[in-house]
Amino acid sequence: MSENKDTSLGMFPIGLQALNEHYFANKQLHYLIESTNTGLWERNIETQEAWWSPKFCELLGYEYGEIAPSYIYFLEEIVYPDDRAIVFGSFQDHIKNRTPHKVEFRMLTKQGNYKWFETSGKAWPNEHGKLTRMIGAVTDIDQKKRTELRLKKDEFFLNETHKIANIGGWELDVVNMELTWSKEVFDIHELPLDSKPDLDTAINYYEPGYRDTISAAVSDAIKYCKPYDLEVKFRTAKNNVIWVRTKGVPVINTDGECIILRGIFQNINQLKLKELDLQQSLDLLSDHNKRLQNFAHIVSHNLRSHSGNLQFMVNIFDQNISAPEKEEVFGNIRSISESLATTIDHLNEIVKIQTDISKELKPVDFESIFKNIQSALDNNIHKTKAIICYDFSSCPTINYVPAYLESIFLNLLTNSLKYRHPDRDPKIICKSYFDKEHTWLTFEDNGLGIDLDKYKDKVFGMYKTFHQNVNAKGIGLFITRNQIESLGGSIHIESTVNVGTKFTIKLV
Amino acid sequence: MTLISPAKTVCVIDDDKIYIYGLKKLISIKQLSPNLMEFYNGKEAIDFLTDPENLNSLPDIIFLDINMPVMDGWGFMESFVKIKPQLGKKITIYMVSSSINDDDIERAKSISDITDYVIKPISPDTLVELFRLAA
Repeated sequence: MSENKDTSLGMFPIGLQALNEHYFANKQLHYLIESTNTGLWERNIETQEAWWSPKFCELLGYEYGEIAPSYIYFLEEIVYPDDRAIVFGSFQDHIKNRTPHKVEFRMLTKQGNYKWFETSGKAWPNEHGKLTRMIGAVTDIDQKKRTELRLKKDEFFLNETHKIANIGGWELDVVNMELTWSKEVFDIHELPLDSKPDLDTAINYYEPGYRDTISAAVSDAIKYCKPYDLEVKFRTAKNNVIWVRTKGVPVINTDGECIILRGIFQNINQLKLKELDLQQSLDLLSDHNKRLQNFAHIVSHNLRSHSGNLQFMVNIFDQNISAPEKEEVFGNIRSISESLATTIDHLNEIVKIQTDISKELKPVDFESIFKNIQSALDNNIHKTKAIICYDFSSCPTINYVPAYLESIFLNLLTNSLKYRHPDRDPKIICKSYFDKEHTWLTFEDNGLGIDLDKYKDKVFGMYKTFHQNVNAKGIGLFITRNQIESLGGSIHIESTVNVGTKFTIKLV
Repeated sequence: MTLISPAKTVCVIDDDKIYIYGLKKLISIKQLSPNLMEFYNGKEAIDFLTDPENLNSLPDIIFLDINMPVMDGWGFMESFVKIKPQLGKKITIYMVSSSINDDDIERAKSISDITDYVIKPISPDTLVELFRLAA
């Protein structure tokens, strides 16, 4: 063996003991290797004999020679059970396929705990060209590996948390306007991880009505270092509309300039929908409450006026009055009792609208109901020479309570005829149409009109009459409004005195 | 029975015919006034008050209702404040309504030209008292 062959570990043509001997023979090499924290090993592929260098033993807490010189022993006693397959497999691959042998695995120390090592090695042929030995080195990578695993675990934990919370992080480098997203942000966008986000396209994922808000918030955050926190509607790459929360916080440099805008992005769809649902219920409830209060007020007021009159008449009756006067007073008492009954009928009708839980919605045909009402009012229409036009072609039917639709048509038509302009024949136009969500009805006349500046809040009130008309009872529009609102609709009036009135009704 | 200056002219503005009948009857029983004018809404009354021909027959007391068609009690008061300087006569206005709504009562109190707010029905004693106060 020549000296320079000794220094090169790659050139051992001899038996297992050779490395051992050469290792110690060359002190320089020996010390050098021992100082690198690298353990060496040798394995006879045929006999499974093995040699472990002093450093190798030290790394595992053993004295030199304490570890049995057997590859089988190594595999079965030292290597962590779960890692045996990898270690053995790598050896085999290396011998069979010449793949590099390099494995990270755990070994049992003398103290009884496992530590992470990295080993690499190479098989060598004997003088006949047959692979008989493997020589290799191990290094202690325990610290590095544990940190790496902890990081991986933390990352996994963070990712899982983000996934569960549907929350992601993003960062906008204000200087180059470069946008970075975390995985979850891509997921919320339903975009592949390799897509390249930029500010403009990112803003276009928001629903049109919210884009200006977002743009303004981002620009304010950059310009004035103003953080933002918004809940907005958003359309994903796969066209799903969801609610998201986006929050941006500026990172400010020593000059007080925003250099980075950092934030979170969260899918809050479930929560938001629940919130909106709740809000809707609340609105409905307060609406109901308001109507109830209004109704209580109406009841007290309308009954009071009758009971007041009754009391008034009784008081007069008690005075010293003549027999014919008593007769007169009694006549009044009779008419009070009649109007009291009428009022109670009206109140009943309203209670019925409010409490009718069995309101059955049926598909109803606008035209046939309108025609029915028209023929019911035929006399009146004829007498007033009214011209009545309708167009229900763009929305011919609706799911509604048939009796309500009849009542709505009846009240509006009666009103238009009753409050016609004295100088012209009444002209009435009724139309139905459908927009994206709702079915609408418009009802227009060229009648007297009403001064809405004065009466706006009273038009749909009970017993509110505005014209001097003996037929005015002030109940029609009140009932109409109640019927419409009880089915979730609304009624709106536009009117100009001496020109006419237009009702716009959202039916459903 | 107290008789207080029976020459007063009384005006009632109300769309409730039964109430007007009762008021008229009570005034005559109590012999409070021989002259009662009746209007069925605020506008009729304002038209009467602003007509120069009626300058000599203006009322001393007005019983004013709130809820009426065409022009309600509040509308009447708005117009009344404007024409008051031309009338050249002190007119006592009582707002008489069946409304027990606090908003109505407060609103009436805030109008200085309304002497008092009376909740219907007016009892005979109250009526006499209102005439006495207006004297």
